[in-house]
Amino acid sequence: MKILLILLILIINFAGTICAGEIKDRSEEIINSTFSGPVFNDAKKFMIPVELLSEVQKKCKQKFYKNYVYYWKIEEAGSLKAIAVLDNVYGKSMPITFMVIFDLDGKIIRSEIVKYREQYGGGVSSDQWNEQFKNKNSESSFNIGSDIAAISGATISVNSVTKGIRKLTLIFNSIKNSL
Amino acid sequence: MQKIYTAIFITILLIITSTVIAQDEDFFEPKSSIGGYGELHYNNEKADGKEAKKVLDFHRFVLFFGYAWNEQWSLKSEVELEHNFVKDGQGELELEQAYINYHHADWFGFQAGVILPSVGLLNEYHEPPLFLSVERPEYSKNIIPTTWFGNGVALYGSHEGFEYKLSVMEGLNSDNFKNSSGIRSGRQKGYKADAENFLYNGRIDYTGLPGLRAGVSFTYNKANGDSTEVPLTLIEFHAKYTANNIHAVFEYGNISYSDQPVESSMGYYFDLGYNVASFFCDKMEVIPFFRWTDYNTVSSFEGGGDAEKKYHNKKWMVGLSVKPIPQVVFKLDYGVRENQLTNSEVKLFNLGAGYMF
Repeated sequence: MKILLILLILIINFAGTICAGEIKDRSEEIINSTFSGPVFNDAKKFMIPVELLSEVQKKCKQKFYKNYVYYWKIEEAGSLKAIAVLDNVYGKSMPITFMVIFDLDGKIIRSEIVKYREQYGGGVSSDQWNEQFKNKNSESSFNIGSDIAAISGATISVNSVTKGIRKLTLIFNSIKNSL
Repeated sequence: MQKIYTAIFITILLIITSTVIAQDEDFFEPKSSIGGYGELHYNNEKADGKEAKKVLDFHRFVLFFGYAWNEQWSLKSEVELEHNFVKDGQGELELEQAYINYHHADWFGFQAGVILPSVGLLNEYHEPPLFLSVERPEYSKNIIPTTWFGNGVALYGSHEGFEYKLSVMEGLNSDNFKNSSGIRSGRQKGYKADAENFLYNGRIDYTGLPGLRAGVSFTYNKANGDSTEVPLTLIEFHAKYTANNIHAVFEYGNISYSDQPVESSMGYYFDLGYNVASFFCDKMEVIPFFRWTDYNTVSSFEGGGDAEKKYHNKKWMVGLSVKPIPQVVFKLDYGVRENQLTNSEVKLFNLGAGYMF
């Protein structure tokens, strides 16, 4: 009995450590693993201009979680190399936190689920599924079934994350121009 | 004893602390959410030498309601009205899901309340746009008693493309088992459920490749009623691939019973479909499909004989599933079911419209 309790405490302690500052840590870990020796600032807020926000929402048929997103400027060997953007979309009932890293032409280098909070639909976290967004930009097609694979048991998450990523491709230029 | 209480208190404190630290209003706000699905069916069923039976039925209207108190703790519920109306044993109003969900991390969460055991592809994912035929596959009715729900608790999680779920819930009432429908009538549906013998269910799936879900589940229950006790095990395998315009599904299940004349129930089916809209339009899906089904609720009977043929049915089906958007579907299908004892045929033609949100 005592051994079980000690084990439980250890597991929860360990898990609690992971939870603390999880989103920030996980985001920076993703950037670090994408580039060799990147230099990046702390996350900054980008307030989405009202007109752009409304235009993109209409185009993608999905609202932004907030009227701002977070971004990181990523430098390599002293020059700006990429921009990482962090946002949320709603899954069936909980937010899904995701990151998209763009090159300076607005092409996706990598997309990644930073935090998933539900039992169902977690397949959107898989590397293979996210790989499909690589090299897409604001002009690309994001149709589910033909361009982006559906995931059995994750219909709502697939729709939400795909629209969320497309939204970021459409505000990328505005973020870049604000730097 | 005092040490144990202290340990429990510290444990609770740690859970709460980790919850508070993880909370960040930029990424989470307490919120309620609604969803649901529904389906309208036209069924035309013509048995050999009989008049066709034609029915127009709003088969299911389902509302999902959820509320998230914080990132970890939430409520999920689902209420279903079947056949549009409830009166004198016709139609059903069911609380199919109502559970507290604690999501600690991807690898661990738990649920307590009215839950769904993880058996087959459709028991947990049965919204109309997710399967090709108008009605759910007959396998998912006669072998896997979809929708199977009941009072209990479950642990779940995922890691590196693998998902697991373990459930302990109310058992089945063996007094209500029928040769014609297997364990289906034995579901207690959470109604003052007899908790004499719990049902144990475990499932593991692989979802690491885009479009693929493949896995197995194992279920054990010493089902009991007022006059019977029937230990049973249900083992099933399922696989679904939906990518590159291909829709392929395969499910196989076997139930073994002890201490009664019926020794097993068995069935399988497969679907093959292709999204032909990909040749001319990328905004919608048009999926012609073929299905083959073989199921027998008395696949093995003490002493064998005709009893093993009486409920053995084979069926082929062709159909079309059209999705103007992923959440809305219009369907039609035609099939012939043949009974293996009488060789009699039933021709079935169905039309349907369904949605999910």
